[in-house]
Amino acid sequence: MNENAKRARPNVMPWAWRLLPVVLAVALLVVMPGFLPEFLQRMMSKFLIFAIFSISYNIVAAYTGLISLGQAAYFGVGGYTVGVLMAHYGINSLWVTALAGVTLGSLAAAVVGPIVLRVSGMYFLILTFAIGRLGYSLTWNLPFFNVPQGIQGIAGLPRPVTGIPGFQFTEFSFYFLVLVFFAIAMFLQYRLSRSPFGHSLEGIREGETRMEALGYNVWLHKYLSYVIAGAFAALAGVLYVYMNRFIEPADFDIMRSFYPMAMVIIGGPATLWGPAVGAAAIVFVEYFSSILVPARWPLILGSLFVLTIMFARKGLAVYAADLWSKAGAKLWKR
Amino acid sequence: MSMFFTNLVNGLAMGMVYFLTAAGMSIVMGVMGISNLAHGALYMVSAYVGWQVFRGFHWPFTVAVIAGGVAGGLLGLFIERVFLRRLYKQPNEQVLLTYGFVYIFTNACIWIWKGWPRLPFTAAALKPVMIGGLRFASSRFLLIALGALSAVALWYLQDRTRLGARVRAGMDDKEMAQGMGVNMEMVSMIVFFIASFVAGLSGVLGAQVMGINAEAGNTILLQALVVVIIGGVGSIQGALLGGLMIGLLDTFGKVLFPQLAMFTIYLAMVIVLVVRPQGLLGRRG
Amino acid sequence: MEALKLDHVSKRFGGLHVLEDITLSVEEGERVVLIGPNGAGKTTTFNLINGQLPVSSGRIFLFGEDVTRLPVHTRAHRGIARSFQISSIYPNLTVLDNAILTAHGLRRSRFGVLRSVTAYPELMEKVQTALDHAGLWEERHEFVKNLAYGEQRRLEIALTLAGDPKLLLLDEPSCGLTRGECGDMIHVINTLPRGITTIVVAHDMDVIFGVAERIIVLFYGKLLADGDPATIQADRQVREIYMGVEEGTERARAF
Repeated sequence: MNENAKRARPNVMPWAWRLLPVVLAVALLVVMPGFLPEFLQRMMSKFLIFAIFSISYNIVAAYTGLISLGQAAYFGVGGYTVGVLMAHYGINSLWVTALAGVTLGSLAAAVVGPIVLRVSGMYFLILTFAIGRLGYSLTWNLPFFNVPQGIQGIAGLPRPVTGIPGFQFTEFSFYFLVLVFFAIAMFLQYRLSRSPFGHSLEGIREGETRMEALGYNVWLHKYLSYVIAGAFAALAGVLYVYMNRFIEPADFDIMRSFYPMAMVIIGGPATLWGPAVGAAAIVFVEYFSSILVPARWPLILGSLFVLTIMFARKGLAVYAADLWSKAGAKLWKR
Repeated sequence: MSMFFTNLVNGLAMGMVYFLTAAGMSIVMGVMGISNLAHGALYMVSAYVGWQVFRGFHWPFTVAVIAGGVAGGLLGLFIERVFLRRLYKQPNEQVLLTYGFVYIFTNACIWIWKGWPRLPFTAAALKPVMIGGLRFASSRFLLIALGALSAVALWYLQDRTRLGARVRAGMDDKEMAQGMGVNMEMVSMIVFFIASFVAGLSGVLGAQVMGINAEAGNTILLQALVVVIIGGVGSIQGALLGGLMIGLLDTFGKVLFPQLAMFTIYLAMVIVLVVRPQGLLGRRG
Repeated sequence: MEALKLDHVSKRFGGLHVLEDITLSVEEGERVVLIGPNGAGKTTTFNLINGQLPVSSGRIFLFGEDVTRLPVHTRAHRGIARSFQISSIYPNLTVLDNAILTAHGLRRSRFGVLRSVTAYPELMEKVQTALDHAGLWEERHEFVKNLAYGEQRRLEIALTLAGDPKLLLLDEPSCGLTRGECGDMIHVINTLPRGITTIVVAHDMDVIFGVAERIIVLFYGKLLADGDPATIQADRQVREIYMGVEEGTERARAF
């Protein structure tokens, strides 16, 4: 028995052709960066961090149907936890700060979850957005979150310390750290999407009433999805602070929340590779537009976004995958 | 004491600006079910257009106000006709799409008007007014008067005209209303235009009080959302009540507890959303 | 054993009384058809039984247990399965996906995150059986929206049965089906295991008399009549409602 192909038509091409893009991706991600200049390595790190952030949105919004404009709140919590630990308590350990960041981010989502889940649809959207703003105004105003005094945010943070004697993070080795976390995040997303729980999220997105009648505790599933997404966002925030060595209130804001949203939409909602493809697309287009047409980037991003929603709803990843399949089918027709 | 009156007038004027912006958004949201996050961006574009007309072309202030309204209205209409119409009953996509427009419009304004952080925009033609020994910019009173007038006009439109009845019918069931001979396309267009026009007016007028900057797209959106939520979606009266409340809270808050002003307002919004999502005077639950 | 008992159940929406003081009980294994003109409250009754709507007053008992306050999903675990008047299968998911969602709904596995959905052999077998019964195994990778309406209804009924329910609520199962498909549907219902208590809402005369061992008539929210098919057919009030028979005369008006 058991094909578990999920597309409408099972693939007929040899597995080698299907595997090729994955191999290429791995080569790109693992081998290539060693040959890149530092600033490009940093951009690769940035892309992977945003890919993780986008997975957060993918889970809560694309899979579960809860459009949240406030994932940045947990990004912020993760980042500020690291910032506070490093700046106020001198804790630089990678392990401690990362664990603390992700834990606090998840806890924040766990606390906020029952509040935001009291409403749905448009109100949910606005409420998640308001929560993000609350985070923003807290970190803006309270001196505790502004170090050194007089600036917005926490600056001058060191690189995290691994406890391996003599080891200091370079741009390159930091990239690999991010890559490892990215791989873990992708793996978790993969397992989640194939699991019964993951399927239930899609069912909830399609229609809550029927899911309840089938025996699913819809509220609980939504809550778990929200907390899990919060954890991913917090992880992204943690890594972001390691990379930038700086965090500011704007990191809580809706502008931040827009990026993962745009990345998932453009990359392909509710797909495995959508978040990463979207993140890559946006980070790299942003880079190029900053060279060619500086200051026009938001216009380009907005336009890309609008065009995708209107004409390419399934997202780049799906269209690319379809093209690839068709090409493969043609090549192998004989 | 004079401080109190100055702040009161300022607060009411601000409140009127909030009301005008929120009213359009509230009606469109509550009655047409469309979430237009670009509403604040319409305000912003209109403010720039008004500035251009008044300071750039040196035409009379009244023309500037109307130009702003028309600019807002046309832009809103453009979004509705070309984009939103194809996303009927897809609220998620509507939200995402309109937020994309915020990015586009904000950057376009920076491009055209060179992104000056703040354009000063006070119609010098409006001389200050003296009341009881205190000096007020007459723009404040103009705003309050215009706001009150608009409130009455909009309320009348909503509750007492056939257009209003048609809109309310269409909110419940578009097909049914169409089946009864209501041209919903036309109604949608008209309502959206009016809402955007009013936002445009409030953009030019609001600029008198707050100046213009390219961040208005987001900040005004936030403020409008707060007012809409607290006042209640779909209700002109709610937008008025909410707008005045927030305007006063904001103005007095900045004076009395500047650190927490922002925070209190958002907290109020969160509380309302959780306890009484339909707002103080809202129509839809 | 009483499968279902409604005890003075009423439902009001503001000033509107949709159901008034309904008291009835259904024994295990009975086949009941619920009829009544449009607006009589039949779907509302279903909504109250399965929990989608809270009662305004009264109590509901399922196999002896008071379930009045229990949420929908908990009642599903007590053995209620329900089909909807308008197809509720997810059009944007595949046939297989829909079946898988149904299969895991009543299992602990619905919280599982580690194993793939297809790594549950017993459940996948159930899925295959259900889809075979509906004749849709070959089409399992099709998106439901691409199926004919009759196939969608067949799928919905097959999935409703797949969970081994103890109480089955079928809301107008033949709605939108052709004559032939309707006949099939009647056959399916009649060949259900005897242990399953079945309540069907129906308008179609063929379905009503083809399936019913007992008919309950609702009229504007009130219980009008309750008995075996012959009694109901002969009942004066029922005939008045359905056929407009006037007192003393036998003139029938088409309804």
